[in-house]
Amino acid sequence: MGLTTPKSALPTISPVQPTPEVVLAVVFLPFLAAAFTPAVYRLLGERTAYFAAAVALVTLGLVTDQYLAGADGTVAFEWIPSLGVSLAFHVDGLALLIAFLASGVGVLILTYSGGYMHGEPGQAKYYATLLAFMGSMLGVALAGDLIALFVFWELTSLSSFILIGHYTGEKASQYAARKSMLITVSGGLFMLVGFLLLVWASGQTTAIEGTTYSIQTLIAHADAIREVLSASGLLVPVLVLVGLGAATKSAQVPFHVWLPNAMEAPTPVSAFLHSATMVKAGVYLVGRFRPLFLPEDAAVLGEWTLIFAVLGLLTMTVAAMLAVSATDIKELLAYSTASHLGLIIAAFGFANSYGAEAGAFHILNHASFKAALFMVAGIIAHEAGTRKIDRLGGLRKHLPITAVIAVVASLSMAGFPPFNGFYSKELLFESTYYAAKHMGGIAWVFPVVAVFGSIFTFLYSIKFASLFFGDEPDGLGHVHRPPIAMLVPPAILGALVLAISAQPNLFIEGLVGEVYGSVVPGDAHSFSVHFPTELTPYVIMSIITIVVGAVSFPFYDTLHDGINAALRGPTRANWWYDNFVEGLTTTSVAVTPKVQTGLLRTYATWSLFGFVALALGGYAAAGLQIPAIDGLSVSIPIVLVLLVALVAAFAVDIAPSHVAGVLTLSIVGFMVAIFYILADAPDLALTQLVVETLVLVIFLLVLDRLPAFYGDAPDRTVSIRDGLLSLAVGTTVALTVLFSTDASPDPLLQRFFIERGGVPAEHPPFFADFGGGSNIVNVILVDFRGIDTMGEISVVVMASLAILTLVRMRGQGETQ
Amino acid sequence: MSGSSGRTTVISRTVARIVVPIILVTAIALLFRGHNLPGGGFIGAVLAAAAFALVYVIFGLEFIQREILDIAPDGSERHQLVESYRWMASLGLALAVASSLAPLAFDMPFLTQGVLFVEGIPIYHELEVASAFAFDIGVFFAVVGGLLTIVAEVGNE
Repeated sequence: MGLTTPKSALPTISPVQPTPEVVLAVVFLPFLAAAFTPAVYRLLGERTAYFAAAVALVTLGLVTDQYLAGADGTVAFEWIPSLGVSLAFHVDGLALLIAFLASGVGVLILTYSGGYMHGEPGQAKYYATLLAFMGSMLGVALAGDLIALFVFWELTSLSSFILIGHYTGEKASQYAARKSMLITVSGGLFMLVGFLLLVWASGQTTAIEGTTYSIQTLIAHADAIREVLSASGLLVPVLVLVGLGAATKSAQVPFHVWLPNAMEAPTPVSAFLHSATMVKAGVYLVGRFRPLFLPEDAAVLGEWTLIFAVLGLLTMTVAAMLAVSATDIKELLAYSTASHLGLIIAAFGFANSYGAEAGAFHILNHASFKAALFMVAGIIAHEAGTRKIDRLGGLRKHLPITAVIAVVASLSMAGFPPFNGFYSKELLFESTYYAAKHMGGIAWVFPVVAVFGSIFTFLYSIKFASLFFGDEPDGLGHVHRPPIAMLVPPAILGALVLAISAQPNLFIEGLVGEVYGSVVPGDAHSFSVHFPTELTPYVIMSIITIVVGAVSFPFYDTLHDGINAALRGPTRANWWYDNFVEGLTTTSVAVTPKVQTGLLRTYATWSLFGFVALALGGYAAAGLQIPAIDGLSVSIPIVLVLLVALVAAFAVDIAPSHVAGVLTLSIVGFMVAIFYILADAPDLALTQLVVETLVLVIFLLVLDRLPAFYGDAPDRTVSIRDGLLSLAVGTTVALTVLFSTDASPDPLLQRFFIERGGVPAEHPPFFADFGGGSNIVNVILVDFRGIDTMGEISVVVMASLAILTLVRMRGQGETQ
Repeated sequence: MSGSSGRTTVISRTVARIVVPIILVTAIALLFRGHNLPGGGFIGAVLAAAAFALVYVIFGLEFIQREILDIAPDGSERHQLVESYRWMASLGLALAVASSLAPLAFDMPFLTQGVLFVEGIPIYHELEVASAFAFDIGVFFAVVGGLLTIVAEVGNE
């Protein structure tokens, strides 16, 4: 089909700035409602679902308001001005589409939950988390600032963690929640590193003043940023880092393993987070950064295409095959979700305009049919009491309306004409075809893999629809009718699938065209699709998919068993995950008893060793030279004092009892105090004297409880180890003193303290900009560096409370 | 505990009687003169804590409770003293925080310290009042309270 005609824009309406208050309300209203949910639950009980749905509806209304106003632009609120980080929200086609999905599907899901969650535990937590998730997702969609995007991004991971682990007592839930958390959060951290590199790049180019965290500023200067990154060899690392964030979130191979486990969550959660919205965040990220990394004149096979097209097509195919191997309907849908997300990422990966069109359109199409299918799966599980594929069949008789929805959505998922899934899949085929045609050679793998993966997509889609036909298997109990609250939301989505299928261009012109504008560089322009009327290569690709799929459907069970047989050991990504986590656990179990023996001396050894290693390593890494000591003149009294201290230090080592040890140790302390006096530091000397006295008294109090003599002499290796460690610690301290005194501090600071510390010659009766004291040490302590002192006294009080707790809790059975 | 009066000598008890008040006065003097001469809240506090610790060692905890603070001995009394020390520490911390927050009320940044010279006072003629002194008193009580909590609790064992 001459599938698309990119056309230059809707009649260009001058973009309207988004209304700041409305945008803020969109993001924070769900959070606010989440905070009130526990209280609301006390009042309304299970009807809290409709309260939450109403909140989602208001949010949807606000998003629609911005959409109808034609808002396009950025609103920013000051957040961390000293770092240039702002709470910026950017409204454009892509942001609005994701916001529509989050709030619109949110309304449906929360309504559906009202039926599904009937009689389930932990409902207040459930609705509060769902609302908080919706707010986070809206935040991700609208974020215009890298840090804001990262924060909302991790908030979605957190809420997903809580929702997957909804049944907190079950092992499978715990495993699944932990898995999704580990994978998505660590991916997010890689993404943050990528973001920081982007910010660094923005500081290196002259095109941008200073550094910027604003995504739109970065995109506006995409060429300059890419130039800096290429010049420093960081372009591919940044792509990989941001790609890791997207791949973990959108469950791309090999990080797809968390998504099937995430199906432990209640089904509405699966439909909302793990098909329609949260997993779209990764796709959104790829789309959002596409214009930054993919210039209009991009090479057909640049770094971007190589990374994302390959990642996407691989996921699309592998996950589709895994979906065929699935035995559980939710597992099937989970793999299918990963596969379709792969399709979108692959589409965004291609540099031609068809790729961007396919990705933009498929985000909407996938959300419409997949959320419907998940809710259908929820109805089946709820009413038939099982999710096992081989125990289901002939459901049409019991669930007629559900069957219609399932068939429509499945055909759309299969890419069957004339449903909406067909149009976006055609666009992907077209894009792979042109990419291959431009490059030739190995690039023909792209269209071949795309068709291969689509065949499996066709197979599992038809399998899902076939659950409603044929004979009822034995053992399928009585199937109930679903409550109306569970039936209406999927029906609405089914109707949406039909509407998009009937009038695709209406939706493209209304919204998807704008999304397309957001993911391509340069000025936005729309596109349109037509039902194919002639035999083009990509129509042939669709025909091959459907024919081969239909021919091989009778062999579905053979394929299913074959794939399952191939999934053994290291071919399963799960094998790697489980072994990795298991390995970490075993390692820490093995290491802990060595480091944490419960003996004070072991702790001291390890922490001293750590301190020495870190400090010396730091000095070595910084390549510090030992400074020359010149002009050193020591008076005789100081030499005497130091000699006494030295003798006392030796005496501590050979002291036969605790009392002798403590007393000789205090000799060292008092000598240090005298040294301070000789070195003209009266404040230090005073402090040292009184602290030394007090420590001595406390020591004597404690000694009363200790045995009078040390135990047997430790064996030789321990003594040598301790001796070496002592030497190392002493050397480190000496070096630290040398280095730190050599690096004389900024004289400006010194002058500031001296000038500002005292009372000025001419002064009014009251002034606040001078210290007004002649003891500069004290003025620094209580005035210039007052906040340090505040911290220190808080530590003193905290330490005393900690000791109090320790002493009092002893013997209360807290220890094992 | 180590310092029950039965085990200390008459000499040590007599010396302590004379020395402890002197130490306490010195501690307070250090606190007061800190702004212009060596001294200050922290040093004063540690010295004061040392004075109390000395009383523990020589006379014992019970003596302080019964003779000085006049707390009736009732089974759980040993914790009452610690409780008051804890209060002292919290009070000191609160005073320090309050004095640092006060400038906010006058539209000045957190922790701004001011100095006021009061003229025409007999004998002194001119008296310097530093707001930092309030902060220093907070430091003093926080540290005395904190240290004494530790000493009393450890000494109790």
